[in-house]
Amino acid sequence: MEGVGMEQASMNMNGDHQGRNWQMECFFQMPLHYPKYSRADYETMPQWKLDRLLTQYGLPISGDVERKRKFAMGAFLWGIGMEFWKQLCLEHGISKDGILEDFATQGGDRKDVFFYQADDQHYIPRALLIDLEPRVINGIQNSEYRNLYNHENIFLSDHGGGAGNNWANGYHQGKNVEEDIMDMIDREADGSDSLEGFVLCHSIAGGTGSGMGSYLLETLNDRYSKKLVQTYSVFPNQMETSDVVVQPYNSLLTLKRLTLNADCVVVLDNTALNRIAVERLHLSNPTFAQTNSLVSTVMSASTTTLRYPGYMNNDLVGLLASLIPTPRCHFLMTGYTPLTVERQSKNIMVSSYARTKEASQAKYISILNIIQGEVDPTQVHESLQRIRERKLVNFIEWGPASIQVALSRKSPYVQTTHRVSGLMLASHTSIRHLFSKCLSQYEKLRKKQAFLDNYRKFPMFADNDLSEFDESRDIIESLVDEYKACESPDYIKWGMEDPNHLLTGEGNTAGKLALRD
Amino acid sequence: MEDQKVLDLVKELVHRLLSQPQNPNRNQSNPQNPNSSIDPNTYNQALRYAIRILSSRMTPSIAPDEAAMAESIKRHLVNQGKSSEALTFADLYSKFAAKTGPGSVNNKWAVLYLLRVISEDRKNASKQANSLLCGGLPAIFASQLSENLRVSSKKEVCCNGGVVVLSKNPENIRDIAFGEFANLLKEENDVSEEVLVRDVLYACQGIDGSYIKYDESVDGYVLSDVIKVPRATRIMVHKLCELGWLFRKVKGYISECMDHFPAEDVGTVGQAFCAALQDELTEYYKLLAVLEAQAMNPIPLVSEAASSGNYLSLRRLSVWFAEPMVKMRLMAVLVDSCKVLRGGAMAGAIHMHAQHGDPLVHDFMKRLLRRVCSPLFEMVRSWVLEGELEDIFAEFFIVGQPVKAESLWREGYRLHAGMLPSFISPSLAQRILRTGKSINFLRVCCDDRGWADAATEAAAAAGTTTDRGGLGYGETDALELLVSEAAKRIDKHLLDVIYNRYKFKEHCLAIKRYLLLGQGDFVQYLMDIVGPELSEPANTISTFKLAGLLETAIRSSNAQYDDRDILDRLRIKMMPHNTGDRGWDVFSLEYDARIPLDTVFTESVMTRYLRIFNFLWKLRRVEHALISAWKTMKPNCISSHSFLKLQQAVKMQLLLTLRRCQVLWDEMNHFVSNLQYYIMFEVLEVSWSNFSNEMEAAKDLDDLLAAHEKYLHSIVEKALLGERSRSLYETLFVLFDLILRFRSVADRLYEGIYEMQARSTDASRDKKRRQINSKSAEPGSWVSEGRKALTQHAAKFLTTMDQELDDIGKKYSSLLKGFLSQLPIQQHIDLKFLLFRLDFTEFYSLSLSCNVNLAKSERQLGQNMTTESRFCKACNVSLAESERQLGQNMRTIIPYMNSIFARREEIQIQTTLHLQVLVYAENEVICETVTMSTE
Repeated sequence: MEGVGMEQASMNMNGDHQGRNWQMECFFQMPLHYPKYSRADYETMPQWKLDRLLTQYGLPISGDVERKRKFAMGAFLWGIGMEFWKQLCLEHGISKDGILEDFATQGGDRKDVFFYQADDQHYIPRALLIDLEPRVINGIQNSEYRNLYNHENIFLSDHGGGAGNNWANGYHQGKNVEEDIMDMIDREADGSDSLEGFVLCHSIAGGTGSGMGSYLLETLNDRYSKKLVQTYSVFPNQMETSDVVVQPYNSLLTLKRLTLNADCVVVLDNTALNRIAVERLHLSNPTFAQTNSLVSTVMSASTTTLRYPGYMNNDLVGLLASLIPTPRCHFLMTGYTPLTVERQSKNIMVSSYARTKEASQAKYISILNIIQGEVDPTQVHESLQRIRERKLVNFIEWGPASIQVALSRKSPYVQTTHRVSGLMLASHTSIRHLFSKCLSQYEKLRKKQAFLDNYRKFPMFADNDLSEFDESRDIIESLVDEYKACESPDYIKWGMEDPNHLLTGEGNTAGKLALRD
Repeated sequence: MEDQKVLDLVKELVHRLLSQPQNPNRNQSNPQNPNSSIDPNTYNQALRYAIRILSSRMTPSIAPDEAAMAESIKRHLVNQGKSSEALTFADLYSKFAAKTGPGSVNNKWAVLYLLRVISEDRKNASKQANSLLCGGLPAIFASQLSENLRVSSKKEVCCNGGVVVLSKNPENIRDIAFGEFANLLKEENDVSEEVLVRDVLYACQGIDGSYIKYDESVDGYVLSDVIKVPRATRIMVHKLCELGWLFRKVKGYISECMDHFPAEDVGTVGQAFCAALQDELTEYYKLLAVLEAQAMNPIPLVSEAASSGNYLSLRRLSVWFAEPMVKMRLMAVLVDSCKVLRGGAMAGAIHMHAQHGDPLVHDFMKRLLRRVCSPLFEMVRSWVLEGELEDIFAEFFIVGQPVKAESLWREGYRLHAGMLPSFISPSLAQRILRTGKSINFLRVCCDDRGWADAATEAAAAAGTTTDRGGLGYGETDALELLVSEAAKRIDKHLLDVIYNRYKFKEHCLAIKRYLLLGQGDFVQYLMDIVGPELSEPANTISTFKLAGLLETAIRSSNAQYDDRDILDRLRIKMMPHNTGDRGWDVFSLEYDARIPLDTVFTESVMTRYLRIFNFLWKLRRVEHALISAWKTMKPNCISSHSFLKLQQAVKMQLLLTLRRCQVLWDEMNHFVSNLQYYIMFEVLEVSWSNFSNEMEAAKDLDDLLAAHEKYLHSIVEKALLGERSRSLYETLFVLFDLILRFRSVADRLYEGIYEMQARSTDASRDKKRRQINSKSAEPGSWVSEGRKALTQHAAKFLTTMDQELDDIGKKYSSLLKGFLSQLPIQQHIDLKFLLFRLDFTEFYSLSLSCNVNLAKSERQLGQNMTTESRFCKACNVSLAESERQLGQNMRTIIPYMNSIFARREEIQIQTTLHLQVLVYAENEVICETVTMSTE
């Protein structure tokens, strides 16, 4: 009975590095990390630089320099975490200053899930803003939403120098400021009537989000071991060369923490998100503001059943439990479809996923659809039946599985052109390819012993102790292996035939995977 | 003797008149015989004429005024140009009139009149020359002159017959015959017809006459036998007296009713009936009065009948009585048939008689019914418009009985079929009942006054007033209009009151949200805080504390924004418990509906809600248990890497056990969440949306009740709580218990694992420390020993846990399989959806076929055989089918036919093959074949 509650503290980690796009369909892109330039920088930036930047973010745009500048400013000068809270404020009828709007008193929604009430009218997000360098947060503090956040919940490192794209640096700094941050977290946790868990937004490529995020994950796991920890993690694009050269190291080390210390990881990807915006929403040249709002819509949609209580799925744990039957396989993919017709919804969602299947072996472990808006349950029934008859979805064979559907209300304060929209959260075994790629990139780098000096500077890797890398690699390999095992009907007996499989088999599998990729 | 004397006098008078021709009598104007000798023939004629005149009954048609008569004669004479004679007459008249005193003629006017009539008689005769038919004195004399003409005149006498009443024609002997007949009649009958008529009239008023008396033994009026009357008359009298008998009956009934009225329950309808009968009788009395007046006139002889109508004979009476007889007969019939009936039944009985083709009867009955039904209609009116049951004599077709307010609607009033008149249709009666009931319901339960306006409005719309006596029989349309208008408005008003003032919808929603667990966050929170409490034995739990927890749950969830009135009605209810019961078994929520909504949410309804709640609560609890089990095994709790140091085999075992636990958890969770989804969305939501549609469409409280009943019923049935799905329900509960058991096992498993984890980290930390201090410290054997012990302990622990899990898993899957196999055979509800959700990936059907592959037991062989035989059957069917098709298509499509032949052969071969295989081959072979064939 312990620890079921509706409150969640949200932490927005803003890295200071340019993320690279990682191409994989229907992974949402989460532009948490922005180019480090300020408004002044953009205003004077030459065209070639702008072009390069925009291409890097998958936003090729035609037009004159001025247009590109404006576009870049619109796209890069605003953060996703902010978008999420902006969206929540809109849905709950809370103004930019945290004041409850007059019209929003009778919505039947639960504002206290993500906000707490300072006084009768004033709602404050249960959010911590943490960064090791001040630019993004300063931007927030100068924006119209500056009064929304509790200023005591904003953490900036004293020196403001960032983490230098170094996981070890971030991790180390995290260790040093642990007390300050944990004080904030404890304060927020105490302010919650029944704390259920934490939501962490970060990227895994840079230094702050990955390193400090990893440290925070471990600390949270230690201190609040019974609470849920959910992360929205932005994955880098390993297909292209990144300007963060040590990105494979950072990713690998973060992945280990995500595997061991997080309960649920929602994987986000930039390019696919952009493509979805273009292809599905028919937005030519979507700005980051638009894709951000799409992501924040996804984030808010995945919490809608908590905020608009109904029959089922009224707590985060219930929502995630069905999605994650095997504890280790807790990496989720998302899909979002704003729809005009519910019937279309399933087809679009499923077909967009069908394309992602790289191998026919890939199987769904679980699917949860959160449908917002007025939907007739019989319609849901019909589309489920259609999916079943046409065998549009490949499920695991070692256990029963089905498409879970959660019906939720829509916020009455947000006018959308679509009557119904659907969010899909799914655990799919094809995600292992992402980890395999991570591994192979790491292997390449590791073989050359490249850039390791940066890491050796920090205590964890002092004395040339690189066992952390090896351990991480083992864990990711076993994760990949477990996902692979999930594809076979004999998952239950997996590992029994060959007692040494766990230790010896992993390397081979990873190697094979690396070759295939 | 007197007659003889009169005759003599007349003879003498005639003689004297005839023998005095010199007498200036106008009658003797023809001085045929100057001598005193009188012609005997003439004498006879004259005599007869005189007698005729004397016996004439002719009454004067003019007023007896002597002077006027004299004047008229004088003027007559003057007009004829006989002024001298007129003078003479005046002279004579003055002398005649002057003679007064004894011995003079008293009746001077009569004498004058006689003279005048005789003179006019003569004048008429003289106008018709040569005619004898005029009769009279001139004719007598004329006949002497022209005897030759007699023959022709005789003929004319025949032609004119009775008209010539004064004819002295010797041929007209019929007069004499009639006179003789009359005398004969008088001799034959003891009583004259007049007397009989009078007696009949008496009898018809229910009074005994002098001859006709009521005879108890015959039960009728009879003419006493001793009186001598012809048979025909007797029959006639008998017939006429039927009326008297009928009258007596009717009258008797009326007086009986009137006498007994206040004491015995004649009822208002009965009274009205009597009054109507009385009115009819008044009409009848009027007729009798007229007839009685007529009966005073003597009955003329048959020959005289033409001259006058104002007399009564028995025959005439029978004509007069024809109509009253019909009416009286009807009344008597009604009296007979209604004697035992009362109220509406009486009206109905009378109505049945009104269905008559005869317009006379129809009108009569209609008139009667108008009167009879007026109290009934008045009752309907006051019931429909005022809700008053004005029925002291229990005549109305609606019966009220004193009940408690909560059952007023259902039991307070009912239709009394016996009292329902047949001209009010049952559906109309139902509407009438409901309307009045609504008013009473509003008045008693809702404490509402607004219905009066609605009633007035309805009355206005129906075109009547709310005053008394607006309606009558025959205006069924008007009644229907009134009722429907009233029903429409009152029902609308009632529903308005129930919806708006008593917030029916809100309460239904509240019940759905709290008793049917629709308010998820509230339920979640309640379960969290009440859970620990409920794990205690039932008898140690304090309801008071639970109520406090309930309040906390309300405050913490969104329920806090709900109407306080609604939240106040939500209560904790502990069901009666047995020893050993846990709090979970007895805990339930209750919703206090209160008046007037307890009409809908009666005790039995709430009991059913309670059942549903208990089921849902249990389901929620199981789900909750599974979720908390997940929380103990959630991803960041188990870090398998910390076991890397463990011995390989133990580690394998650990992983395997964990995985077994997880997979079993997944299976259970899948079942529970899909079942929950089914219950919530397929059952509750769908039923609710149907219900709210019906609620919108409901026109009256009955509709509403029916809709709610349907809603509840559909939930109970679909949630497998119905009687017919009992076995399913029981299986479900066993499954639930098994899941709860699984939870405790899983908890124990993870507890053990955490313990091991803690120890092994300790051990490794020790190891590290030891490595650091390797130089200084002595070789710590206890650590390695500890590890060994730990490993052994872990291995043992894991083995037992593994066995337990295995046990649960086996039980679970066999139970679930039973449950799933039962689902499709539930005929009364559609469980397709549930089955299809539970087996979305065909995991269970797949696992069945997997089992076939792994078949080792006899049971599975049997299963194979049944599938096989089914397959064979299917083959046969398709064979027959193809043969039939073949026959049909033979002539037209020969190639197609050939292909069919080929197919048929193929199928035959396959079939035989399968049969052979079935019998001889080994299991694996069978399986292969089966899979092949099914593919």
